[in-house]
Amino acid sequence: MTATALPVDPATSAAHAAALEAIAEPGAWWSGADRLAIVRAARTAPTCALCAERDGPTLTIQGEHDNDGELPPIAVEAVHAIRNDSGRLTRRWFDDVIDMGMPPEAYVELVAVTASSVIVDTFAQGMGLDMPELPEPVGGAPTLERSDDVEDAGAWLPLAREGRANILRSLGLVPSALKLFFGTFGRSYYIAPDSQFTLDRAQVELVAARVSAVNECFY
Amino acid sequence: MALRESVQANNREGDLDVVTGRRDGDAGVPHGAFLIDLANAVAGWHWDEAGALRQRGIELIGPDATRDAILVAAGFNGITRVADAIGIRLDTRTANASAGLRAKIGIDAFAPAEKWTA
Repeated sequence: MTATALPVDPATSAAHAAALEAIAEPGAWWSGADRLAIVRAARTAPTCALCAERDGPTLTIQGEHDNDGELPPIAVEAVHAIRNDSGRLTRRWFDDVIDMGMPPEAYVELVAVTASSVIVDTFAQGMGLDMPELPEPVGGAPTLERSDDVEDAGAWLPLAREGRANILRSLGLVPSALKLFFGTFGRSYYIAPDSQFTLDRAQVELVAARVSAVNECFY
Repeated sequence: MALRESVQANNREGDLDVVTGRRDGDAGVPHGAFLIDLANAVAGWHWDEAGALRQRGIELIGPDATRDAILVAAGFNGITRVADAIGIRLDTRTANASAGLRAKIGIDAFAPAEKWTA
């Protein structure tokens, strides 16, 4: 049987390309080159020997992940854990990451870049396409942006004060990270103003719920 | 989420057992069994299986709907990672409304005490 290609919606292609272009620019706490290195680390995570060996209900930070030396080891730990084991992340793991030198704001941005790249790459591979090539990094220094308009909402990090749901507030400590992630995610749900699906609402929710269950996501 | 609220409104908790994998079925949604198979393949990064399901989806629900299902699955593969990596808690309104149902279908097991214990 000859495989039939699926039609890619141009707006989705544009949104995902824009996400990669944005990642290549300097962020708030990471340079453009660092942010692209985060994407590459996420892409190599599936074949990491250390990740494959780690079992048990929660994660403990020890050992060395497969990496090319572009990022500090604690950043590689965070990217691989988020990419491969998000259902096993705990407060203790998060505290260890911060104690090992990751500023909370840099962590928020790393989460946004990793999760955005997961969306772009999962969609491409799900469609039977190659993962997109990464753009060249844009030079410049991080802005060191940090929002003070946040509050403790029982999460590991303060959330944006305003927002309809905790997930929409989750990256509020670094507004550019929040913008990056939801710009990437927007077309996958009823977030982007022009989002529309051939599936009906119940079908969209079923896929969303099943993916959440596969990832053992409590939220 | 809307599905959870819909299920509660229609008193069909067994549909959420399908979502959590406790039993097979279509969860009362058109082509639900196929969509669950596709969600499993995409969320689990099983690309050979996803390739076969793409072809089946073209015949079953059409190419645009198959693409949209992959797009939703890809998005939730990302947003679940944000939720888990920031350690956010359930919104108060949702937590209060769904406490019994969450315990019954086992979703609470995804958030052990260690999740928020320093």
